[in-house]
Amino acid sequence: MVNFTVDEIRQMMDKKRNIRNMSVIAHVDHGKSTLTDSLVSKAGIIAGARAGETRFTDTRKDEQDRCITIKSTAISMFFELEEKDLVFITNPDQREKSEKGFLINLIDSPGHVDFSSEVTAALRVTDGALVVVDCVSGVCVQTETVLRQAIAERIKPILFMNKMDRALLELQLEAEELYQTFQRIVENVNVIIATYNDDGGPMGEVRVDPSKGSVGFGSGLHGWAFTLKQFSEMYADKFKIDLVKLMNRLWGENFFNAKTKKWAKQKDNDNKRSFCMYVLDPIYKVFDAIMNFKKEEIDGLLTKIGVTIKHEDADKDGKALLKVVMRSWLPAGEALLQMIAIHLPSPVVAQKYRMEMLYEGPHDDEAAIGIKNCDPEAPLMMYVSKMVPTSDKGRFYAFGRVFSGKVVTGQKARIMGPNFTPGKKEDLYEKTIQRTILMMGRYVEAIEDVPSGNICGLVGVDQFLVKTGTITTFKNAHNMKVMKFSVSPVVRVAVEPKNPADLPKLVEGLKRLAKSDPMVQCINEESGEHIVAGAGELHLEICLKDLEEDHACIPIKKSDPVVSYRETVIEMSDQMCLSKSPNKHNRLFMKAQPMPDGLPEDIEDGKVNPRDDFKTRARYLTDKYEYDVTEARKIWCFGPEGTGPNILVDCSKGVQYLNEIKDSVVAGFQWAAKEGVMAEENLRGVRFNIYDVTLHTDAIHRGGGQIIPTTRRCLYACLLTAQPRLMEPVYLCEIQCPEVAVGGIYGVLNRRRGHVFEESQVAGTPMFVVKAYLPVNESFGFTADLRSNTGGQAFPQCVFDHWQILPGDPCEPSSKPYTIVQDTRKRKGLKEGLPDLNQYLDKL
Amino acid sequence: MANFTTDGKLCIERKLEVNRSEKEFDDLITRFDINETCRWITENNFLKVCLQFPDELLSVSTKIYEEIKKKVEVDLYILGDTSYASCCVDSVAAMHVQGNAVVHYGHSCFSKTNIPVFTVLPKHSVDVEASIKVVKDRFNADIKLCLFYDAAFEHCKDLISKHWFEYFPHGYISFIEIEENQNRFLGRVIRNKDGEDSAVEVLKDCVCIHLGTRGQTLFNYTISIAASQWYLLDPNTNKIECLEETAWFKRRRFLVEKCKDANVVGILVCKLAGDQTKDIISRMKQLCKVNGKKSYIVSVGKPNVPKLANFPEIDIYVMIACPENDLYSARDFYKPIVYPYELEVALNSNREPYFITHVTDYDQLLPGRPHHCDIHHIQETTDLSLITGKIRETKVDTHQGSSTDLEEKQTWALENIGQNLQDRSWKGLEQKLGETEVKMAEQGRKGIPIQYSDEPK
Repeated sequence: MVNFTVDEIRQMMDKKRNIRNMSVIAHVDHGKSTLTDSLVSKAGIIAGARAGETRFTDTRKDEQDRCITIKSTAISMFFELEEKDLVFITNPDQREKSEKGFLINLIDSPGHVDFSSEVTAALRVTDGALVVVDCVSGVCVQTETVLRQAIAERIKPILFMNKMDRALLELQLEAEELYQTFQRIVENVNVIIATYNDDGGPMGEVRVDPSKGSVGFGSGLHGWAFTLKQFSEMYADKFKIDLVKLMNRLWGENFFNAKTKKWAKQKDNDNKRSFCMYVLDPIYKVFDAIMNFKKEEIDGLLTKIGVTIKHEDADKDGKALLKVVMRSWLPAGEALLQMIAIHLPSPVVAQKYRMEMLYEGPHDDEAAIGIKNCDPEAPLMMYVSKMVPTSDKGRFYAFGRVFSGKVVTGQKARIMGPNFTPGKKEDLYEKTIQRTILMMGRYVEAIEDVPSGNICGLVGVDQFLVKTGTITTFKNAHNMKVMKFSVSPVVRVAVEPKNPADLPKLVEGLKRLAKSDPMVQCINEESGEHIVAGAGELHLEICLKDLEEDHACIPIKKSDPVVSYRETVIEMSDQMCLSKSPNKHNRLFMKAQPMPDGLPEDIEDGKVNPRDDFKTRARYLTDKYEYDVTEARKIWCFGPEGTGPNILVDCSKGVQYLNEIKDSVVAGFQWAAKEGVMAEENLRGVRFNIYDVTLHTDAIHRGGGQIIPTTRRCLYACLLTAQPRLMEPVYLCEIQCPEVAVGGIYGVLNRRRGHVFEESQVAGTPMFVVKAYLPVNESFGFTADLRSNTGGQAFPQCVFDHWQILPGDPCEPSSKPYTIVQDTRKRKGLKEGLPDLNQYLDKL
Repeated sequence: MANFTTDGKLCIERKLEVNRSEKEFDDLITRFDINETCRWITENNFLKVCLQFPDELLSVSTKIYEEIKKKVEVDLYILGDTSYASCCVDSVAAMHVQGNAVVHYGHSCFSKTNIPVFTVLPKHSVDVEASIKVVKDRFNADIKLCLFYDAAFEHCKDLISKHWFEYFPHGYISFIEIEENQNRFLGRVIRNKDGEDSAVEVLKDCVCIHLGTRGQTLFNYTISIAASQWYLLDPNTNKIECLEETAWFKRRRFLVEKCKDANVVGILVCKLAGDQTKDIISRMKQLCKVNGKKSYIVSVGKPNVPKLANFPEIDIYVMIACPENDLYSARDFYKPIVYPYELEVALNSNREPYFITHVTDYDQLLPGRPHHCDIHHIQETTDLSLITGKIRETKVDTHQGSSTDLEEKQTWALENIGQNLQDRSWKGLEQKLGETEVKMAEQGRKGIPIQYSDEPK
């Protein structure tokens, strides 16, 4: 009995000011999906009584079984707001005149750090975020990570304190203690917001404030919630105070003396904190009466709060009755709806300040202006943020947000992948959109067209996109910016079919897997091995399960997880490296040196970028890394793949014909940067300098054939003479546990080459937070190990943080890097042993 | 003409690596089948005969020449330094002297030629009895076995078959067969005790044992003949060794994927003219064309790394060459080299995409041969490449044959080529107007590109 129809939703889509696109984000297990149920049940999609248990947005069987969200799920809902609440919406761009209905497109996202890429994809298509915090455990590492991402994407947050039932029933917190807990969480959240957002920035002030109603409290599991607005409404008439003023009084340092009927700003003996007195006390009373079976009190209380018990609930008592009472007194859906409608921005408001973050092209072209104004009549601009599997195997819905124009079934559009550059044909397809659809959790509904400001799915474009892309009708459109993930695929397993003849099925399955997950990488390596790379063990486990059961449908053998290494150097080459071309007529003189700390990261983050203007880039490198400015202007290229964290710098002076061989040298550099000298792994953080070049005077004798292999040889010689090293990925690992378990954590970390760099108590709780760096290679089985050593009390969250040099010289046969190099060479089918410098270096 | 070749001095002074034969050839007549050769020449009335020697036998070439000359009245020419591989018959060189026939010495790959050939195989001694006893000790007489012996033991094949069938009456021997025959595969036919031919397929559940040493020949057998297991029996040590090429196959499957990714395919011709060569080239061209890939025919003599790196726009090379060639597996090339069969697997969806045996001999792919397969009608599709992580598109040249849309056709072709050149930073001579000083004309350099008179030393 859904209380709205697709037609109603379609009508609402045109009322762009009444749309709210929002995601629900939080740390793992803080109750996002459970809370989402309250809204879903309010929309009539699931029965109210089952809200909190269904986890409607957990659509997969394993999500239900494990009680963990793995994929983000979208759902569109239609609500009407009462007249009295509508007055709170003051911005004319937040509401169409005389329209009470609101269309809420909600995306429930996973909380486990391994699936953060799903969060990133969800944030991209929404404008607001409901940040859920478990008031018992407080702000956790993933809360901070997702909040930071949200702010960076210019997503406005509102806060919800979940699991109040636990605070009351299990921890039995006093009212004042509970207030302090809430207060601390609000502060913590605001600190994070303040760190990443400038109040004077385009989004304006985004702090959350209970007295404004942008913070909710309650229990998703029991289905009740409130903001100060609800309580103020109860008292406003009685106190004859204006609603808004009262809301301010109900939070913070406001105390009321019941005897003198006076408000005060300080605590003294006779007065009581208003929040405790007017908000928490009634709740405490209801809890106390029902949980302690005080029958006579219950009836009195129920009349006071205006709840009548329905006939079928009459014989309930204890927790069951508590749920019924709280749910009818403070229905969660209502409180949430008001928070969302009043405090989250409409697409009209949000796209104004988000356009410059979203669009790569000039900020004054048709597309940019269309996005800025959320104009349904402008050319179509849609960003596809992920692919959702359909029931038709191997096919996907392209899921995304229409930022400008209208996407219409049967429309011919340009489909642009992430490698598209304006004016070129690469990664560009002109195809018809077969169908536009509405995504409703487990169901989809076909729909004629979707105007700007809405989220929808497309049929028929999945074959032209790998994971994400831009759909447009504007011929000169640039791409919408590619999403940046906070996690990297650093854990790898090799997969092969149990029955070798199933290989084609495996390959097909891997292609599907690569599409279905925003971040997973499926790679066919030079050696012919098939690699699946993910963010962590859990992510890989889920991916491999999907691969086996849904995508490839064949039994699969998988190797133990391994990490990928990078090759680097730690010194300047100890000699000028000369390599001669095969015809001996061309000579290259080069050296390698390590990049200064921070530069490889800057390149990866796009702060230093091959597409920058070379003068600006040189200035940045000179200022920040003390690079010589003339050299910094002559960066020939980045590599591997033209973008990687290694550079080739022309330090030569007055070399004739140098321009002519540039393409060949660059090709040789890309080759060497992709396949390093030690184990043919990617290079990282290496700067190569070209000091001198002598070339044959005749073009045919300095062609690609002479220069490309010679460049590679010379670069290899440079690497070998500059103290080559291996780098390994390192996790930042945050572990939450009670004090007694801290000792066990240290033991486990020590055994795994981890080191703790911060240990602190979570204020107001007995919990400790230990932060440590842990090599990814040592992290396999870490969670289980940690649990067994702390009696199951410690729970780690690991996220890739940086690359570090693996101690030891890979040229020293007794060292660990040596073993890794040899193993890798063997796996890749390369000659075992160490590369010989004499093969690459020539004498004058 | 001389101006375009390398300085002669260089050639004369260049040191060649030659594997000196283990001993002096005291008994030339029997070792090199001189009598048989002479008989063959006289019987066929050849007037001009070429003697083709590999590098390591060049030292005895003159003696053999003299021996034959003594016995038969015929024009003899010695061919050395074969264009591509000395295992193949150099029919082009023979044609230069208008020779009627070739006598081929040394290791042979038994490929088809269009000129009469008399093959003189090398002869090594072997203790047949001892070697076969090793096999007997290792394997039960009731499993199916097949013996492959090295071409150098052809001279004692009677002895081998006598001993082999004595122990393994149900076994097979793969004999060397010079004559063309329906069951001939890689120059061999499989026969049982009674001398009946069988097709290679009978080996599917057979254990195959190669009597000889490791090398490209054995490697080609192990990858192209499906058998339950391959073993190598080295007659010098009499040790049996099991052979597995799974890693190699993995790498080849990767290269098949690479073929699908390639936009520009280089058809590398490393084989002398012949009907099959022409056929396979046009087939490769056809395959590329129907898949919307550009193809270029590249002929650079014996390929090496610098020669092929001169064409950086070519994404992959398909080499038309004698299968007895180790360049296919070389990893130093800027762009990989694949077998014609691999390009077929990649671009012809009529073929089984997963292969466990290889077809090294491209001859087998041609119409009428066992591994021929019609080219599938290609439809425009897209696919995800697991190598690059990008979408790859099969663009079909829709303008094929329709001459009306000439203009559109040209644009299409231009677009295809243009993309590669656009990425180059250097696009041609730079005039640098106004940037160079005005100077009086002075004397330029002299000589040819390979060595100018003012060369930096």
